[in-house]
Amino acid sequence: MPLIRSRSDKPGADRPPGDLRAALLSGSPEERWRAARTVAEMGADAPLLTQALELEEDSRVREAIFTGLARIATPEAALAALPYLRSDDANLRAGALDALRMMPEASRPHLKALLRDPDADVRLLACDLLRGQATSEATLMLTALLETEPEANVCAAAVEVLAEVGGPLAVPSLQRCAHRFRSDPFLGFAIKHVIDRLGSPSSVAGD
Amino acid sequence: MAEQKRRVLVVDDASLVRLYYRTVLEDGGFEVDEALNGIEALEKLTVSPVDLLIIDINMPQMDGLTFLASLRRREPPLSSIPALVSSTESRQEDFAAARRAGANFYLTKPVSRETLVEFSSLLSGGSPPSGKSG
Amino acid sequence: MCDFLYRRTGMVFTEAKRYYVDRRVVDRMLATGAASFTSYFARLRSDLQNEVEQFINAFTINETYFYREDHHLRCLTSDLLAERIRTKKPGEAIRIWSAPCSTGEEPYSIAIWLLENWALADSYDIEIVGSDIDTSALEAAREGTFGRRALMRLTPELIEKYFEPVGPERWRIAESLRQSILLTSVNIVDSTQTRAYGKFDVIFCRNVLIYFDDTSRRIVAENLYESLSPGGYICLGHSESMSRISPLFEVCRFADAIVYRRPRDGGHG
Repeated sequence: MPLIRSRSDKPGADRPPGDLRAALLSGSPEERWRAARTVAEMGADAPLLTQALELEEDSRVREAIFTGLARIATPEAALAALPYLRSDDANLRAGALDALRMMPEASRPHLKALLRDPDADVRLLACDLLRGQATSEATLMLTALLETEPEANVCAAAVEVLAEVGGPLAVPSLQRCAHRFRSDPFLGFAIKHVIDRLGSPSSVAGD
Repeated sequence: MAEQKRRVLVVDDASLVRLYYRTVLEDGGFEVDEALNGIEALEKLTVSPVDLLIIDINMPQMDGLTFLASLRRREPPLSSIPALVSSTESRQEDFAAARRAGANFYLTKPVSRETLVEFSSLLSGGSPPSGKSG
Repeated sequence: MCDFLYRRTGMVFTEAKRYYVDRRVVDRMLATGAASFTSYFARLRSDLQNEVEQFINAFTINETYFYREDHHLRCLTSDLLAERIRTKKPGEAIRIWSAPCSTGEEPYSIAIWLLENWALADSYDIEIVGSDIDTSALEAAREGTFGRRALMRLTPELIEKYFEPVGPERWRIAESLRQSILLTSVNIVDSTQTRAYGKFDVIFCRNVLIYFDDTSRRIVAENLYESLSPGGYICLGHSESMSRISPLFEVCRFADAIVYRRPRDGGHG
């Protein structure tokens, strides 16, 4: 019969890399990937991962480092990911955002500042992080942003999140924003749609 | 009048952007499908190819340029689907990066209805779509 | 809301499934005494009293049975194994992992399916491992006794061939199958546990990732990636997608199923 019982342990299957730091900073991509995971599994060495992230160019290894930071989820770990929101490299931005999304507690202290960052691209990406926060806090911060944000695209990002977390109380801010950006082809459409939805509390399972 | 509708796949993590593009493009005579990011887009494309991709850049799990570069490495016909990158990013480096990844064109958001329909028509088949009166 | 569920659980809802979503929402609103959809959704978002899990449990079919989602089984014998044997050395076994395996229906189904449908079964050693975090489910799997509902998709011929009746409406799977499938306790979020089992050709990880949060899903994806040989495949549940989990895998479409593959070479270009 072709079925054979697997041996219940595979000798040598779980040999961690000897010198973790060396493997992480100068091993092959496979070794670096494995080392990044092991560092996160073993404990909270955010500084080592931070250092590795600065040097790493392989997107798979970067992803393992970002996941590692998200697992550690300390304030240090969030700080390590933050600068990459500004990166010119879309892959790094996505990785940083994924990591911060996975650690909402560690991200929370930074959100106010991010939403007021001088760089509109950073403000825009930061809006998505509000999705992982408490509904009331997210609504407060996003509606406040809508009152004064000069960039239409940033408002659009805020509106997208308010569509999920907002309630009827968000409607006045949305209306004022729509008025401020009357000539924007997308924002008026988006805000009208959201107001229509938020204004009807009995709607069920809309997407 | 029996001309088959051209199919567009909108790849964007923002539901409102997808809704906007869907509304505008359906009005413009296209058939529209949606994906939340590049991984979902690949899943859909392997089932049924499309005539045009509209791709955002900043998306979770896999950014749009990584997705596009990955698509271009696949077998035809997937590798040669026209791709319009539509993003809030607007620096010269962004345009260059999109071109390197294999984009056919780049539109900075917000995109007006007319622009969206016009470029979608151009990139997906050349002639303006039938079915909509001027 | 479908977007929220997708983000939170990775579950995808097609138009056809909307009706079921709506029904479950109404059920949960009644069960939680929610006065409006808005208040129910707030409860869901804040995961008050594990509402997300309650919602998922109300939605998913919790019972497991033989030959469930058999499109993956068809894909296995039509396409996946053919690919895997191309790079097998002589004497190298085919290794398949069912994780989680619950009360055993999945790993035993894979075994029966292969014996019945894979023309090359006799040419290869096949190792099937079933793992779960639930030790009482594993006990039941080792015991190998099942009721009528679990066997409902099997033909009388298959039941006759691979089971023996052991009581009213109870059948026990043949000893040869019970002996040849390794059933072990594993928490798939714990890589020190998953690494102990070596590399697999195909992993079935169906309908469990929806219960995890984003970080745990990522970690499981990485663990399963490590547990796959290069070019090995992973099958998720019918409503699940890697799109909300990880970019590690390549999407592969076959006639019977969409599956995910660990890339064959180290890089991704």
